[in-house]
Amino acid sequence: MTAAWRAATAPRWMIAGEWHAHPVRIATAVIAIAIGVALGFAVHLVNASALDRFARGLATVNGGADLRIETTSRQGIGENLYPRIARLPGIAAASPVVVLHARIGGMPVDLLGLDALRAAQVTPTLLPRPGAGDPMAVFDPQSLFLSHAALAGHRVGERIIVVVDGRAQSFTIAGSLPGAQARALGMIDIAAAQSRFARLGTIDRIDLKLAHGADTGRIRATLNAALPPGAILAGTADDADRTDALSRAYRVNLDMLALVALLTGAFLVYSAQALSVARRGPHFALLRVLGADRRMVTGQVLAEGLVFGVIGAAVGIGLGLGIAMLVLRLVGGDLGSGYFSAGDVPPLVFAPGAAAGFAALGIATALIGSLVPARTAARIAPAVALKNLGDAIDPRRTPAILPAVSLAGVGVAAALMPAVGGIALFGYLSIGLLLAGGVAAMPWLARALLAPLARRHFVSPAIELAVRRLWGAPSQAAVALSGIVASVGLMIAMAVMVASFRGSVDEWLGQILPADLYLTAGGDAPFDPTAQRALAGVAGVRHVVFSVQRPIALAPDRPALALVVRPDAASAYPSLGRRIAAPPGRIGIGVSEPAARLYQLAPGATVALPLGGHRVLAFVTGIFRDYARQAGAIAIDSTTYDQLTGDTHRGDAAIDIRPGADPATVIAAIHRRLPPLIADTIQILPVAALRQRALAIFDRSFAITYGLEAVAILVGLAGVAATASAQTMARTREFGMLRHLGVTRRQIVAMLGIEGALLGLVGGIAGVGLGCGVAQVLIRVINPQSFNWTMDTRTPLGLLAGVVLALIVASAITAMLAGRSAVSVDAVRAVREDW
Amino acid sequence: MNGNLLALSHVAKSVPGGRLLFGDVSLDLAAGEFVAIMGESGVGKSTLLNLVAGLDAPDRGTVALDGTLLDTLGEDARAALRRRRIGFVFQAFHILPHLTLGQNVGLPLVLLRAPPRAAIARATDLLAAVGLAGREGDYPSQLSGGELQRVAIARAIAHRPALILADEPTGNLDPDTAARVLDLLVAQIRETGAAALLVTHSEVAAAAADRVLRLTADGLVAA
Amino acid sequence: MLARLLAMLALLGAAAPPAPFAIARPGAAFAFPRDHGAHPEYRTEWWYVTGWIDGPGGTHRGFQVTFFRTATGLAADDPSAFAPRQILFAHAALSDPAVGHLLHGERIAREALGLARASRADADVAIDDWTLRRLPDGRFVTHVAGDGFALDLAFRPTQPVLAQGDHGYSRKGPDPRDASRYYSVPHLAVSGSVTEQGSVTTVTGNAWLDREWSSTYLMPGAVGWDWTGLNFDDGGALMAFRIRGADGGTLWAGGTWRAPDGASTVLGPHDVAFTARHRWRSAGTGAAYPVDPLLRIRLPGGVRTLPLAPLFPDQELDGRAGGSPVYWEGAVTTPGARGYLELTGYAGPLKL
Repeated sequence: MTAAWRAATAPRWMIAGEWHAHPVRIATAVIAIAIGVALGFAVHLVNASALDRFARGLATVNGGADLRIETTSRQGIGENLYPRIARLPGIAAASPVVVLHARIGGMPVDLLGLDALRAAQVTPTLLPRPGAGDPMAVFDPQSLFLSHAALAGHRVGERIIVVVDGRAQSFTIAGSLPGAQARALGMIDIAAAQSRFARLGTIDRIDLKLAHGADTGRIRATLNAALPPGAILAGTADDADRTDALSRAYRVNLDMLALVALLTGAFLVYSAQALSVARRGPHFALLRVLGADRRMVTGQVLAEGLVFGVIGAAVGIGLGLGIAMLVLRLVGGDLGSGYFSAGDVPPLVFAPGAAAGFAALGIATALIGSLVPARTAARIAPAVALKNLGDAIDPRRTPAILPAVSLAGVGVAAALMPAVGGIALFGYLSIGLLLAGGVAAMPWLARALLAPLARRHFVSPAIELAVRRLWGAPSQAAVALSGIVASVGLMIAMAVMVASFRGSVDEWLGQILPADLYLTAGGDAPFDPTAQRALAGVAGVRHVVFSVQRPIALAPDRPALALVVRPDAASAYPSLGRRIAAPPGRIGIGVSEPAARLYQLAPGATVALPLGGHRVLAFVTGIFRDYARQAGAIAIDSTTYDQLTGDTHRGDAAIDIRPGADPATVIAAIHRRLPPLIADTIQILPVAALRQRALAIFDRSFAITYGLEAVAILVGLAGVAATASAQTMARTREFGMLRHLGVTRRQIVAMLGIEGALLGLVGGIAGVGLGCGVAQVLIRVINPQSFNWTMDTRTPLGLLAGVVLALIVASAITAMLAGRSAVSVDAVRAVREDW
Repeated sequence: MNGNLLALSHVAKSVPGGRLLFGDVSLDLAAGEFVAIMGESGVGKSTLLNLVAGLDAPDRGTVALDGTLLDTLGEDARAALRRRRIGFVFQAFHILPHLTLGQNVGLPLVLLRAPPRAAIARATDLLAAVGLAGREGDYPSQLSGGELQRVAIARAIAHRPALILADEPTGNLDPDTAARVLDLLVAQIRETGAAALLVTHSEVAAAAADRVLRLTADGLVAA
Repeated sequence: MLARLLAMLALLGAAAPPAPFAIARPGAAFAFPRDHGAHPEYRTEWWYVTGWIDGPGGTHRGFQVTFFRTATGLAADDPSAFAPRQILFAHAALSDPAVGHLLHGERIAREALGLARASRADADVAIDDWTLRRLPDGRFVTHVAGDGFALDLAFRPTQPVLAQGDHGYSRKGPDPRDASRYYSVPHLAVSGSVTEQGSVTTVTGNAWLDREWSSTYLMPGAVGWDWTGLNFDDGGALMAFRIRGADGGTLWAGGTWRAPDGASTVLGPHDVAFTARHRWRSAGTGAAYPVDPLLRIRLPGGVRTLPLAPLFPDQELDGRAGGSPVYWEGAVTTPGARGYLELTGYAGPLKL
């Protein structure tokens, strides 16, 4: 230890001295790492916390049964399945459940109809605790038991109205649900659930307890054989799969974006370190002359990177924790995306493993960024570098383009690879490679872009000097630009992708929202045919299209799809690609793009839908674009659905009003026509407001990515500033020489400004070009592979131009600011000074 | 080969890809011997020192330090040899601006893995010996050219090298300062008993040496 | 027999409904097989079999199989198949002196969808895989399985039904409404198999079936009761019970003696006396049970004294984990007879 410490004395002195002299340079690199680590860790924490909460919530409702048989649709399962299942060998106990989506005082509550005696054996956590100590209350059709969250200020003994699909029923709060305090959960007797909410003859779930030591695999097989269409078997693992599938793509995408932010950090570290090594070339040369070996020099630069990494990672973990807390409080656990509809803020789940992981990533990033500069430092020829008056520049050398082309080529090839386990791993790899390729292309590109200028001669010495220098030292320019090109490229890519996405969503909203007013019951279906006729007869209403969304499960390990029931379902949504008419006598359905990709469906395919207790073979007539339901949607015609299921309830309505009618008046009239309990739970919005709201949700869900972009660009600009000032400082002697030759200070500052502007221009053009390329990876690879939807590319030209302009201005200003202090140094001393 | 500290034998060196600097240089330097080398600008005096330090390799001929042929050593072994046996004084001082004077002087010692505290202690003594008592905590930017070269001399002898290579040590100094620095350098070399190769334009400087040689395209000749 | 009620009441609570239920009245004759089936218009009802089984090598064990039905008074018009009108539950126990304590198990479910059912036509009650029913040939058969044991037994009647009290109207207190409809079938010939800790033995034996239904059972002030049903080797049968007050005194008592020739004597409150001799104290519950009482009955021919002796002392059924009360239900002998003794309310008074 002591020996190693002693051996490291010289590097320690060198590092401490360097950092003492250039704290800003250190700060930039540390911040770059810290931000990458913080973002990654924060996103991970928020997701983990939200997912944990979501999974717990789900587990609460499911009560922890060994296995569950669940309905695949809202039609439920015939109750006679229950005794058949209960009698199967290997089943120790079976508990039938009616699942209702209720509203109590406007709050959505999962309402379970249970047989308490059966639940006691299978799902004891769902058992109610009668408030008055009267155990008979658990059977009373008037009794309602509420979890703490669902109680929401009501008291045991109170009468309360429960609304399910427009049906209002009054109950007495008879006690609590001690096993489910945080989740808005209610429990009533199963008979009351059936008879009071028109569910006679059906149940939605059978919770199963397996016999001790039973062979789960065999029982699953037996059960699967016994299940009718419309019922599927699910266990805890399936729950986890479903929960995970629901948001995995979103979470992984954010994690990956955070990693790319870290990658930008690596470029910034590289940029900072490369410059620093170039500037300190003579220092390293002296050390080598005095007898330091290469390993020590390499070690010193790597040690610097390590310290950047350690400090950056430590700061980043703390920062990430803070960001996560803030985000959870401000935006909620879903980062505004709406994936986790837990009502309240989930508690932060600190993950020491993840913290260590992201810290290690940050440190690795800093080390990787330092690797090339460390090697450069070790390769310095001591005798030459010691005498060298500046950078070793030979304007005759043309920079190589081959490495950049190879990197980009591999990147493009990676983009063509399929997803790995539903995650676009190769897509992200492709982004990393393209960014690296873009950075590697910078020297060549800088020279190519400046070549037209370099062939000319300028009267102004400032311009002439600036162009000569940049053209003659493209690798210097490249180093200055690597950080900014990476971060601008990333930012532009995100901007183009989000613009394309938003544009496509906007267009899609225009297609699917042709009516004047939209009524929604928030997932309920309160309108029976009578209510539908009443609605259609409201004064001012010209035409109403009723629809309803029902969950329908096609696979136990995937989240349920949305079955969209509406008139003319096949033609209501514009088709992507061809549309085939269903053969006569066949049921035609449209499938959404995510559904088509998730279940490998194309027009002409046949899908078995569990409807009305039967397995109905449906013919896919076309694929429609849908950004609303990531788990997939199937559109089916109302008439067909009604015949198959007898479920004529509807929950949504698209309302056209008579010409000249006032929308507000019509909305008020509709509200008056509905029973007050239903009127309270529905929302009617004019189409413009709905569209606005949809786009607001879109923007909210991308708020975090906007945040990431802003940070990336800020880090990039900080990198440019630090780089510009470092390079300028390194050229103090050059400026002194120019002053000797009669160039004025003003001219030197102007020269630096022009250099900065040109650098910004080159970086901007490169960044924008790179960004547009990466955007195509996001649009054509990442999104389809992660979210199963496509979009049309839209280029936000104004934004692109703005970014380039901002970059030109910012780098010109930073270069000039750095130049002012550099030229203020006494000219004679500047020439004499060797370092 | 023999008992000499340094032995150059028929060494030839050209500018990379060009002009021949010298074709046949031979030189034996005994321990404690002080030799001054003079010559025209561009004749390759600094290059000769680089060859001696193992920083550059001759086109022909051999360089041996302590009886070891440098071209048989790897780069790191040559670095180790420099670290232990050679002290340097440069025309442009090359005092690291971010290190204190004490650290600059102590640098050769810590490169030899001396405890930092001991290195600084010796540096403090040496700084006092070159007339910079109590300034071990100062930074180089606070010093004049003459003072910087004093620091460099202290650094060159800090680790008691067997051979000191001084390349135009007074070249960047005004005549008065140059004279005082040269006196100091000679005094320190004599005191440590190290051998020295002094490359210089200055007759005054050369006069302090045991031997004065002149480097020409043909080789070293006695002045 | 009355312990069955305890279990029920502890589970379902004591609040007696305002009386939507039928009241047991004298003067009605039993009609079979209808009265072997359920009477859901009464609040509580049970099918209660206790007896001795004899295995190979002269081993003797006791057993208890009980199905209870209780009406909730709720959901009378509910069209749901799950309507919670009737709750069924069952206890089963095996008394093996080699084990030294009871092996027991229980089931509970609402009557719904055939998984739990009590037929109104004949004896046919079931909760999941636990069943008790009467076959067309008149035999009763049962299957029950608890922790470490299972009973698959058939009970063949060898004597006519014994109507308790006044032609099946059995009073439980001074108020004539505190009464039940009650009959027994003594001297049931047992055959079948008993599984204990995995080993199956074919057994014979003799048993006693109690059938009782009522809506108003317990009088105020009662804390528990003692009951016994004895099959005499000569063909005679005796049922006797007393209801105890808080001071341990007798609030009401009764019984029936049927002589081997078939002549029945109804025993009134003054014709039955239980006198405690030794008390066995349960380590688990702390209750002290008079497990070998001296039973005296006054018959027309004089007072008959029957010292009861348990098969082994620890025949306590601690059902607290399953929400049931603590009581002692054990196989007993007396010279010339063997049967069952039930002691309730000794672990603490019942709160009704």
